[in-house]
Amino acid sequence: MKKILSLLLILAMILTACSGGKPPVSQTPETPETPGPAEEQPEDADGGKYAEEQVYKTVYAEEIQTINYLTTTTNVEFALAANLVDTLVDYDMYGVLQPALAETWEVSDDGLTWTFHLRKGVKWLDFEGTEVAETTAHDFVSAAAYILVPENESATANLFYSVIKNAEEYFNGDITDFSEVGIKAEDDYTLVYTLKEPVPYFESMLTYVCFFPAYGPFLEEMGDQFGTTNSALLYNGAYILSEFEPQMHRILTKNPTYWDSENIHIVELNYKYNKEATSLAGEMYKRGEITAVELPASIIDEWMNNPELKAQVRPGTLGNYSWFYAFNFDPKFDAQYEPENWKIAVNNPNFRKSVVSAINRIAAMQTEEPYNPEYRIINTITPPNFAAQGGLDYTQTGALKAITEGDFFDKDKAVEYKNKAVEELTAAGATFPVKILMPYNTNSTSWANEAQVVKQQLETTLGADYIEVTLLPHAPTGFLDGTRRAGNYSFMKVNWGPDYADPQTYTDPFERGFNYNFPEYTTDVTADGQNIFEVYEAKVNEAKAEVTDLAKRFELFAEAEAMLIDNAFVMPYNVSGGGYVASKVHPFEAPYSSFGISSERWKGQKLLAKPMNTEEFEAAQQEWQAAREAALKEAAKK
Amino acid sequence: MKYILIRLSRSLLTLIIVVTVVFLLMRMMPIEGYFGASFDKLDEAQKTAKLNNLGLLDPWYIQLKNFYTDILKGDLGESITYRPKVAITKILGDKLITSIRFGLASLAVSLIVGLSLGIVMARFKGKFWDKLGTCYVVGANAVPAVIYYLLIQVYFTDIFKLPLLYSKSDPKSWILPVLCLSLVNIAYYAMWIRRYMVDELNKDYVRLARAKGLKNKDIMTRHVMRNAFVPMAQYLPASILYTVSGSIYVESLFSIPGTGGLLVTAIQRQDNTLVQALVLLYSSIGIVGLMLGDILMASFDPRIKLSQEGGSR
Repeated sequence: MKKILSLLLILAMILTACSGGKPPVSQTPETPETPGPAEEQPEDADGGKYAEEQVYKTVYAEEIQTINYLTTTTNVEFALAANLVDTLVDYDMYGVLQPALAETWEVSDDGLTWTFHLRKGVKWLDFEGTEVAETTAHDFVSAAAYILVPENESATANLFYSVIKNAEEYFNGDITDFSEVGIKAEDDYTLVYTLKEPVPYFESMLTYVCFFPAYGPFLEEMGDQFGTTNSALLYNGAYILSEFEPQMHRILTKNPTYWDSENIHIVELNYKYNKEATSLAGEMYKRGEITAVELPASIIDEWMNNPELKAQVRPGTLGNYSWFYAFNFDPKFDAQYEPENWKIAVNNPNFRKSVVSAINRIAAMQTEEPYNPEYRIINTITPPNFAAQGGLDYTQTGALKAITEGDFFDKDKAVEYKNKAVEELTAAGATFPVKILMPYNTNSTSWANEAQVVKQQLETTLGADYIEVTLLPHAPTGFLDGTRRAGNYSFMKVNWGPDYADPQTYTDPFERGFNYNFPEYTTDVTADGQNIFEVYEAKVNEAKAEVTDLAKRFELFAEAEAMLIDNAFVMPYNVSGGGYVASKVHPFEAPYSSFGISSERWKGQKLLAKPMNTEEFEAAQQEWQAAREAALKEAAKK
Repeated sequence: MKYILIRLSRSLLTLIIVVTVVFLLMRMMPIEGYFGASFDKLDEAQKTAKLNNLGLLDPWYIQLKNFYTDILKGDLGESITYRPKVAITKILGDKLITSIRFGLASLAVSLIVGLSLGIVMARFKGKFWDKLGTCYVVGANAVPAVIYYLLIQVYFTDIFKLPLLYSKSDPKSWILPVLCLSLVNIAYYAMWIRRYMVDELNKDYVRLARAKGLKNKDIMTRHVMRNAFVPMAQYLPASILYTVSGSIYVESLFSIPGTGGLLVTAIQRQDNTLVQALVLLYSSIGIVGLMLGDILMASFDPRIKLSQEGGSR
């Protein structure tokens, strides 16, 4: 017995010695992870505004799956690729297009041929910073050739072939000769795209991952291992991914040979993975171990009630995912919720308007943003600051202007609409109360609360004899398949994100045959007896065809969108983003783009000496908004 | 010998059934899961291309056949959604080593401290040490681990100036995770060894040994301990082997890149190949562990004969 015990003890000692003492051999140069040097050294040339040490540290909870930017579609992966590889064009902090890898470019008169003249001397580096080759026009062609092979599983290939000539045919195998596809490198520094038809927003698409370059020989050599780790990638952007260990950390270091390196101020971006980042990030920020934190809902109250902490908090910037409530015109749900009855009711405009007018969106928003509910509310499907023409924002154009400046909530009107609806619907054979099936995703507590609030508002204002709202909680797995796509709802909140910077992208969910709210099944008519959806569709097609007079194009889209909103086919709700952050990053100095990956870039960004508070944020936002309008007007003159 | 062979073949059958069932279940999941949030934006052609690449469009028996032929060749495949195109052996390699290290370190600490505590408690049964130990055991079992792990992480790092998150280059960052992992196991070992020892102390041979004049210390270590340890030995190999599965919560809190939570993430992401590989790994370990445990137990106590009916405990 003694022997066994002593053996165990020896074993234990060896193990604890192994685990505790031996410094492990690491493959890549290690950077210390423990509390970094203090970042608050107020004495600076700018009078103390910027931190002396420009190293950005943060923790994150969602790990990236791959660095292969030619196949991915997730935001975190774009955000990474944006800083590692440059694009033909880029945006400045006001959203004005700037040259990047392309110095100049021109478009042919018929709008089909775009020619880009590339900058010379941009180098591809490997993860250790060694020069491998020069970036040329051929790199864009190699990347396109890779994307258009279905076996490579590029999730953004469809965006590429929606505009480039013969690309879709090549992808489907109808043509086998790649040289027929509308992308050519005429020489090392001249790149020519040939489009299927004129696309006014083509430049905005160039910042998307499917138009990134990739060094051909390297891409071939790596094969399907391209982008699986940092050594399987080449870099020509602002940063190099010097260290990458999934589920541990990743470190981006400034690229010393970057063509615009004088505008890159932050020398290192340090991301540490932690699954419980939402619980720990607040604590780590307080200890100075990270530079920025997005405050999870659970600790916002604690921070707001502590004056010292509150002074470090500001609202987060807005995103461009648009959330809106939609009425389903092709109900396919359980008989107990009376789909046939719903079909009659939903086609009555007074019914829909009564529902929309009874919802107080600000009160509903308080479930998600208790301190600042109006911040994210939008009145249109397309968010503000998304697209502008001639210096005029789309949401201020034509028919949308009145909608943007108005509001839908009006209890008295709601009752008025209800009375008219009751009359008309009883005549049409509907029964009351009309059952409304409203699903929500159980992985979001704020959505669950919001659904409760909306149900309460509807039943209180309109009466439980008129409508009966049934909430349908649904698990996150297969949520959309089980609710929206299956037509299994009467009225529910859905969202859409843009694919390019033009109002056309926000008409995609309402295309005939798609799976959002099936408006093509409506029987509702306009004042002169035409089917509302057909008028909408015709208007959208007219707008799509307008590729030369862009001001007119925007007006036509605005008219179409106004139709959907005025006829209460949908109720715009809010835009993504918001929340509260405590951050030493200035929110308005980075490139701004409403679509594409430019906003994820760190160009021009400097770390502040102390975090921005809410008042400073609001002042800065107003300043930025004004400067943006001026800059857009300036650019439109050219 | 014959016993071991029969046991092995039964285990292999169990393994095959488990893996096949999991394989089929994974393929019944909606295809939306393989694509993530961009599903609405993809064309039919893109979706078909991806599913084809993953071999998911073949009939289920073809997929099963391919799976088993690959396994026999030693190829566990590549991950499909967790880290696309990366070989599973590569993903698992580092993670397993990290989890095993932490697991073994915490096992060693819990055994030493737990057994010592248990022995002291049994020796001074009813007196101060016993009462103190019982408080600890009850506390560790009653309070949910998630609460004190987080408290330990936040407060001990402050008080003792230890790093908040694990990092390979900093040995001090091992202390808190190993502590957290050991807390519950210490209570477990202490409680059980005390129980078994107290059982033994009531037996006749102990009274005889006392009557013979043996020193108490000798009775404890040479006779009682050995007998009391037998039931615990059954689970020791399994505990060692189970260190490969890591601890989900401790690893997430301290940013330890281990296998804890890997299976859960793989299932959520519908990464079929990774889930299958992990299920294969864990099932094999469970089976081997149990078998080794029985054998170890038999080697400790010659009275236990495995091949007879009712032989293994």
